[in-house]
Amino acid sequence: MDREVVRKFKDGKLVKVKMVIEGGVIKDAKITGDFFAHPEEGIEIIEKELIGKDLSNARQAVESAIGGVTLIGVRIEELIAMVQECLENDR
Amino acid sequence: MNKFRVIEFEYGDAPFNMALDEAILRAVGAGKSPPTLRLYGWDPPAVSIGYFQEIREEVNLEFCHENGIQVVRRLSGGGAVLHTPKELTYSFSVEANDPSVPQDIQGSYLKICAPIISALREIGIPASFRPVNDIEVKKRKISGSAQTRRFGAILQHGTILLGMDYTLLPALRARTEKLTEKGAKDVAERIITVAEILGKEVRQAELSRILVKKFEDHFGAVANYSDLSEDECIFPALEERYRSIDWTFRR
Repeated sequence: MDREVVRKFKDGKLVKVKMVIEGGVIKDAKITGDFFAHPEEGIEIIEKELIGKDLSNARQAVESAIGGVTLIGVRIEELIAMVQECLENDR
Repeated sequence: MNKFRVIEFEYGDAPFNMALDEAILRAVGAGKSPPTLRLYGWDPPAVSIGYFQEIREEVNLEFCHENGIQVVRRLSGGGAVLHTPKELTYSFSVEANDPSVPQDIQGSYLKICAPIISALREIGIPASFRPVNDIEVKKRKISGSAQTRRFGAILQHGTILLGMDYTLLPALRARTEKLTEKGAKDVAERIITVAEILGKEVRQAELSRILVKKFEDHFGAVANYSDLSEDECIFPALEERYRSIDWTFRR
Protein backbone atom coordinates (compact mmCIF):
# COMPACT_ATOMS: atom_id res chain seq x y z
CA MET A 1 0.00 0.00 0.00
CA ASP A 2 0.98 3.65 -0.36
CA ARG A 3 1.96 5.09 2.98
CA GLU A 4 3.19 8.54 3.92
CA VAL A 5 4.32 10.30 7.06
CA VAL A 6 4.70 14.09 7.20
CA ARG A 7 6.55 15.97 9.94
CA LYS A 8 7.23 19.60 10.59
CA PHE A 9 10.35 20.26 12.63
CA LYS A 10 11.10 23.03 15.08
CA ASP A 11 12.97 25.27 12.66
CA GLY A 12 9.99 25.11 10.33
CA LYS A 13 11.27 22.54 7.85
CA LEU A 14 8.77 20.08 6.45
CA VAL A 15 9.66 16.52 5.55
CA LYS A 16 7.56 13.84 3.91
CA VAL A 17 8.40 10.15 3.58
CA LYS A 18 6.29 8.41 0.98
CA MET A 19 6.48 4.68 0.32
CA VAL A 20 4.97 1.87 -1.64
CA ILE A 21 4.90 -1.17 0.66
CA GLU A 22 3.91 -4.70 -0.26
CA GLY A 23 3.73 -7.44 2.37
CA GLY A 24 5.82 -5.34 4.75
CA VAL A 25 8.56 -4.84 2.16
CA ILE A 26 9.43 -1.42 0.69
CA LYS A 27 8.93 -1.34 -3.07
CA ASP A 28 9.53 2.40 -3.56
CA ALA A 29 10.56 5.30 -1.32
CA LYS A 30 10.60 9.09 -1.77
CA ILE A 31 11.82 11.64 0.73
CA THR A 32 10.62 15.16 -0.08
CA GLY A 33 10.50 18.57 1.57
CA ASP A 34 12.29 21.86 2.08
CA PHE A 35 15.28 20.46 3.97
CA PHE A 36 18.90 20.52 2.80
CA ALA A 37 21.22 17.58 2.25
CA HIS A 38 24.90 17.90 1.36
CA PRO A 39 25.62 16.21 -0.93
CA GLU A 40 22.09 16.07 -2.31
CA GLU A 41 22.64 12.64 -3.86
CA GLY A 42 22.65 11.26 -0.30
CA ILE A 43 18.88 11.36 -0.28
CA GLU A 44 18.62 9.45 -3.56
CA ILE A 45 21.02 6.85 -2.18
CA ILE A 46 18.84 6.39 0.93
CA GLU A 47 15.75 6.01 -1.27
CA LYS A 48 17.46 3.29 -3.32
CA GLU A 49 18.84 1.50 -0.24
CA LEU A 50 15.37 1.29 1.28
CA ILE A 51 13.95 -0.74 -1.60
CA GLY A 52 13.55 -4.38 -0.57
CA LYS A 53 13.90 -3.58 3.14
CA ASP A 54 11.39 -4.16 5.94
CA LEU A 55 10.94 -3.06 9.55
CA SER A 56 13.80 -5.31 10.68
CA ASN A 57 16.48 -3.73 8.50
CA ALA A 58 15.19 -0.29 7.41
CA ARG A 59 17.23 1.48 10.12
CA GLN A 60 20.40 -0.22 8.98
CA ALA A 61 19.69 0.74 5.36
CA VAL A 62 19.33 4.45 6.22
CA GLU A 63 22.35 4.43 8.52
CA SER A 64 24.62 2.79 5.97
CA ALA A 65 23.50 5.17 3.20
CA ILE A 66 23.78 8.35 5.27
CA GLY A 67 27.55 8.21 5.89
CA GLY A 68 29.14 11.51 4.93
CA VAL A 69 25.82 13.25 4.29
CA THR A 70 25.02 16.44 6.24
CA LEU A 71 21.32 17.01 6.77
CA ILE A 72 19.90 20.44 7.65
CA GLY A 73 16.31 20.71 8.81
CA VAL A 74 15.86 17.05 9.78
CA ARG A 75 17.92 14.68 11.93
CA ILE A 76 18.86 11.18 10.86
CA GLU A 77 17.02 9.68 13.85
CA GLU A 78 13.88 11.58 12.88
CA LEU A 79 14.15 10.35 9.33
CA ILE A 80 14.56 6.74 10.50
CA ALA A 81 11.54 7.14 12.79
CA MET A 82 9.44 8.37 9.85
CA VAL A 83 10.51 5.42 7.70
CA GLN A 84 9.65 2.98 10.51
CA GLU A 85 6.30 4.66 11.08
CA CYS A 86 5.40 4.16 7.40
CA LEU A 87 6.20 0.46 7.78
CA GLU A 88 4.30 0.15 11.06
CA ASN A 89 1.26 1.86 9.55
CA ASP A 90 1.21 -0.84 6.91
CA ARG A 91 0.97 -3.75 9.35
CA MET B 1 40.37 34.80 -1.87
CA ASN B 2 41.96 38.13 -2.82
CA LYS B 3 39.74 38.96 -5.76
CA PHE B 4 36.40 37.94 -7.14
CA ARG B 5 34.47 38.50 -10.32
CA VAL B 6 31.19 40.41 -10.52
CA ILE B 7 28.57 39.60 -13.15
CA GLU B 8 26.43 42.72 -13.27
CA PHE B 9 22.67 42.81 -12.79
CA GLU B 10 20.66 41.45 -15.67
CA TYR B 11 17.14 40.07 -16.01
CA GLY B 12 16.66 36.51 -17.18
CA ASP B 13 13.90 33.96 -17.24
CA ALA B 14 13.82 31.17 -14.68
CA PRO B 15 15.54 28.32 -16.60
CA PHE B 16 18.21 30.75 -17.88
CA ASN B 17 18.88 32.05 -14.37
CA MET B 18 19.24 28.60 -12.84
CA ALA B 19 21.32 27.29 -15.75
CA LEU B 20 23.73 30.22 -15.55
CA ASP B 21 24.16 29.76 -11.78
CA GLU B 22 25.03 26.11 -12.45
CA ALA B 23 27.36 26.97 -15.35
CA ILE B 24 29.26 29.39 -13.11
CA LEU B 25 29.32 26.85 -10.24
CA ARG B 26 30.83 24.23 -12.55
CA ALA B 27 33.41 26.63 -13.98
CA VAL B 28 34.44 27.83 -10.50
CA GLY B 29 34.66 24.25 -9.22
CA ALA B 30 36.83 23.27 -12.19
CA GLY B 31 39.20 26.13 -11.42
CA LYS B 32 38.36 27.78 -14.75
CA SER B 33 36.65 30.82 -13.23
CA PRO B 34 37.44 32.94 -10.17
CA PRO B 35 35.06 33.24 -7.20
CA THR B 36 31.99 34.95 -8.64
CA LEU B 37 29.24 37.22 -7.38
CA ARG B 38 26.41 37.33 -9.89
CA LEU B 39 23.47 39.76 -9.57
CA TYR B 40 20.28 39.12 -11.46
CA GLY B 41 16.52 39.45 -11.67
CA TRP B 42 13.54 37.42 -12.80
CA ASP B 43 11.43 38.40 -15.78
CA PRO B 44 8.84 36.96 -16.21
CA PRO B 45 8.02 36.20 -12.56
CA ALA B 46 8.69 32.65 -11.43
CA VAL B 47 8.39 30.18 -8.60
CA SER B 48 11.56 28.25 -7.78
CA ILE B 49 11.25 25.09 -5.73
CA GLY B 50 13.87 23.32 -3.68
CA TYR B 51 15.71 20.28 -5.05
CA PHE B 52 13.77 17.88 -2.79
CA GLN B 53 10.32 19.44 -2.95
CA GLU B 54 7.22 17.87 -4.37
CA ILE B 55 6.06 20.31 -7.02
CA ARG B 56 2.33 19.66 -6.66
CA GLU B 57 2.48 20.19 -2.90
CA GLU B 58 4.21 23.54 -3.22
CA VAL B 59 3.03 25.24 -6.38
CA ASN B 60 -0.40 26.29 -7.59
CA LEU B 61 0.33 25.22 -11.16
CA GLU B 62 -2.97 26.44 -12.57
CA PHE B 63 -2.49 29.92 -11.10
CA CYS B 64 1.05 30.03 -12.48
CA HIS B 65 -0.11 29.01 -15.93
CA GLU B 66 -2.90 31.59 -15.97
CA ASN B 67 -0.62 34.38 -14.77
CA GLY B 68 2.46 33.74 -16.88
CA ILE B 69 4.56 32.62 -13.90
CA GLN B 70 7.35 30.17 -14.74
CA VAL B 71 8.18 27.25 -12.46
CA VAL B 72 11.70 25.95 -12.07
CA ARG B 73 13.37 23.37 -9.83
CA ARG B 74 16.59 24.57 -8.22
CA LEU B 75 19.83 22.66 -7.80
CA SER B 76 19.75 23.77 -4.15
CA GLY B 77 17.53 22.45 -1.38
CA GLY B 78 15.21 24.55 0.71
CA GLY B 79 11.72 25.88 0.12
CA ALA B 80 9.57 27.33 -2.65
CA VAL B 81 10.13 30.99 -3.50
CA LEU B 82 8.11 33.46 -5.55
CA HIS B 83 10.45 35.66 -7.59
CA THR B 84 9.00 38.86 -9.06
CA PRO B 85 10.79 41.42 -11.25
CA LYS B 86 11.12 43.62 -8.14
CA GLU B 87 13.52 41.22 -6.47
CA LEU B 88 17.31 41.49 -6.49
CA THR B 89 18.82 38.02 -6.59
CA TYR B 90 22.44 37.14 -5.95
CA SER B 91 24.53 34.06 -6.44
CA PHE B 92 27.96 33.55 -4.97
CA SER B 93 30.18 30.72 -6.17
CA VAL B 94 33.48 29.83 -4.63
CA GLU B 95 35.80 26.81 -4.68
CA ALA B 96 34.87 24.28 -2.02
CA ASN B 97 38.26 24.51 -0.32
CA ASP B 98 38.54 28.31 -0.34
CA PRO B 99 39.59 29.19 3.23
CA SER B 100 37.53 32.39 3.22
CA VAL B 101 34.29 30.37 3.42
CA PRO B 102 33.80 28.10 6.48
CA GLN B 103 33.40 24.39 5.79
CA ASP B 104 30.47 24.04 8.18
CA ILE B 105 27.17 24.84 6.52
CA GLN B 106 25.79 27.19 9.16
CA GLY B 107 29.03 29.15 9.34
CA SER B 108 29.17 29.49 5.58
CA TYR B 109 25.61 30.83 5.33
CA LEU B 110 26.46 33.45 7.94
CA LYS B 111 29.70 34.39 6.18
CA ILE B 112 28.01 34.92 2.80
CA CYS B 113 24.92 36.61 4.30
CA ALA B 114 27.01 39.08 6.32
CA PRO B 115 27.77 41.44 3.40
CA ILE B 116 24.07 41.36 2.45
CA ILE B 117 23.11 42.39 5.97
CA SER B 118 25.72 45.17 5.87
CA ALA B 119 24.38 46.43 2.53
CA LEU B 120 20.80 46.46 3.83
CA ARG B 121 21.88 48.34 6.96
CA GLU B 122 23.69 50.91 4.82
CA ILE B 123 20.42 51.83 3.09
CA GLY B 124 18.64 52.09 6.44
CA ILE B 125 17.20 48.59 6.86
CA PRO B 126 17.82 47.12 10.37
CA ALA B 127 18.42 43.59 9.07
CA SER B 128 19.69 40.64 11.10
CA PHE B 129 20.59 37.01 10.45
CA ARG B 130 18.18 34.24 11.39
CA PRO B 131 19.65 30.76 11.30
CA VAL B 132 19.78 28.67 9.21
CA ASN B 133 19.51 30.75 6.08
CA ASP B 134 17.29 33.82 6.42
CA ILE B 135 17.76 37.55 6.88
CA GLU B 136 14.97 39.27 8.80
CA VAL B 137 13.68 42.70 9.73
CA LYS B 138 11.25 42.87 12.65
CA LYS B 139 10.88 39.07 12.57
CA ARG B 140 9.87 39.18 8.90
CA LYS B 141 11.93 37.70 6.09
CA ILE B 142 13.56 40.15 3.67
CA SER B 143 16.09 37.70 2.22
CA GLY B 144 16.37 33.93 1.97
CA SER B 145 19.29 31.85 0.71
CA ALA B 146 20.00 28.30 -0.33
CA GLN B 147 23.24 26.44 -0.86
CA THR B 148 24.46 23.54 -2.89
CA ARG B 149 27.95 22.05 -2.81
CA ARG B 150 28.80 20.22 -6.01
CA PHE B 151 31.41 19.97 -8.74
CA GLY B 152 34.13 21.08 -6.32
CA ALA B 153 32.47 24.36 -5.43
CA ILE B 154 29.90 26.01 -3.17
CA LEU B 155 27.00 27.92 -4.68
CA GLN B 156 24.85 30.08 -2.46
CA HIS B 157 22.02 31.96 -4.10
CA GLY B 158 19.26 33.99 -2.58
CA THR B 159 16.67 36.70 -2.73
CA ILE B 160 16.68 40.30 -1.57
CA LEU B 161 13.14 41.64 -1.52
CA LEU B 162 13.35 45.19 -2.84
CA GLY B 163 9.65 44.91 -3.59
CA MET B 164 6.99 42.26 -4.02
CA ASP B 165 3.98 41.78 -6.24
CA TYR B 166 1.55 40.48 -3.65
CA THR B 167 -1.09 39.68 -6.28
CA LEU B 168 1.14 36.79 -7.42
CA LEU B 169 1.44 35.13 -3.99
CA PRO B 170 -1.32 32.57 -4.64
CA ALA B 171 1.32 30.87 -6.85
CA LEU B 172 2.67 29.33 -3.63
CA ARG B 173 0.63 26.66 -1.93
CA ALA B 174 1.89 27.78 1.48
CA ARG B 175 1.32 25.37 4.31
CA THR B 176 -0.29 27.06 7.25
CA GLU B 177 1.43 24.79 9.79
CA LYS B 178 4.86 25.91 8.62
CA LEU B 179 4.04 29.59 8.75
CA THR B 180 2.31 29.43 12.11
CA GLU B 181 5.57 28.14 13.50
CA LYS B 182 7.21 31.43 12.62
CA GLY B 183 4.27 33.50 13.84
CA ALA B 184 2.59 34.51 10.60
CA LYS B 185 -0.76 33.60 9.14
CA ASP B 186 0.25 33.68 5.54
CA VAL B 187 3.21 34.45 3.36
CA ALA B 188 2.27 38.11 3.04
CA GLU B 189 2.61 38.54 6.80
CA ARG B 190 5.82 36.56 6.94
CA ILE B 191 7.79 38.70 4.48
CA ILE B 192 8.73 42.37 4.25
CA THR B 193 10.30 44.44 1.49
CA VAL B 194 12.79 47.30 1.26
CA ALA B 195 10.13 49.48 -0.41
CA GLU B 196 7.72 48.97 2.51
CA ILE B 197 10.34 49.84 5.13
CA LEU B 198 11.82 52.89 3.39
CA GLY B 199 8.63 54.12 1.76
CA LYS B 200 10.46 54.41 -1.58
CA GLU B 201 11.80 52.19 -4.31
CA VAL B 202 15.48 51.24 -4.35
CA ARG B 203 16.75 50.22 -7.76
CA GLN B 204 18.49 46.90 -8.25
CA ALA B 205 21.54 48.67 -9.71
CA GLU B 206 21.87 50.85 -6.63
CA LEU B 207 21.76 48.04 -4.07
CA SER B 208 23.97 45.89 -6.32
CA ARG B 209 26.71 48.54 -6.18
CA ILE B 210 26.57 48.64 -2.38
CA LEU B 211 26.52 44.83 -2.18
CA VAL B 212 29.68 44.53 -4.25
CA LYS B 213 31.43 46.97 -1.93
CA LYS B 214 30.30 45.00 1.13
CA PHE B 215 31.50 41.72 -0.36
CA GLU B 216 34.88 43.40 -0.93
CA ASP B 217 34.99 44.57 2.70
CA HIS B 218 33.84 41.29 4.26
CA PHE B 219 36.07 39.05 2.17
CA GLY B 220 39.01 41.46 2.02
CA ALA B 221 39.02 40.99 -1.76
CA VAL B 222 38.89 43.19 -4.83
CA ALA B 223 35.93 43.02 -7.20
CA ASN B 224 36.54 42.77 -10.95
CA TYR B 225 33.57 43.55 -13.13
CA SER B 226 33.90 41.16 -16.03
CA ASP B 227 32.07 38.95 -18.45
CA LEU B 228 31.24 35.30 -18.55
CA SER B 229 33.88 32.95 -19.89
CA GLU B 230 33.33 31.07 -23.12
CA ASP B 231 32.53 27.92 -21.14
CA GLU B 232 29.89 29.70 -19.11
CA CYS B 233 28.24 31.23 -22.16
CA ILE B 234 27.62 27.86 -23.72
CA PHE B 235 25.16 26.02 -21.58
CA PRO B 236 22.24 24.99 -23.83
CA ALA B 237 22.17 21.52 -22.28
CA LEU B 238 21.84 22.96 -18.79
CA GLU B 239 19.15 25.39 -19.85
CA GLU B 240 17.29 22.63 -21.62
CA ARG B 241 17.34 20.53 -18.46
CA TYR B 242 15.90 23.36 -16.36
CA ARG B 243 13.14 23.78 -18.96
CA SER B 244 12.36 20.07 -19.06
CA ILE B 245 9.31 18.37 -17.54
CA ASP B 246 11.56 15.52 -16.33
CA TRP B 247 13.64 17.81 -14.15
CA THR B 248 10.86 20.11 -12.99
CA PHE B 249 8.46 17.30 -12.07
CA ARG B 250 11.03 14.80 -10.83
CA ARG B 251 9.47 14.97 -7.33
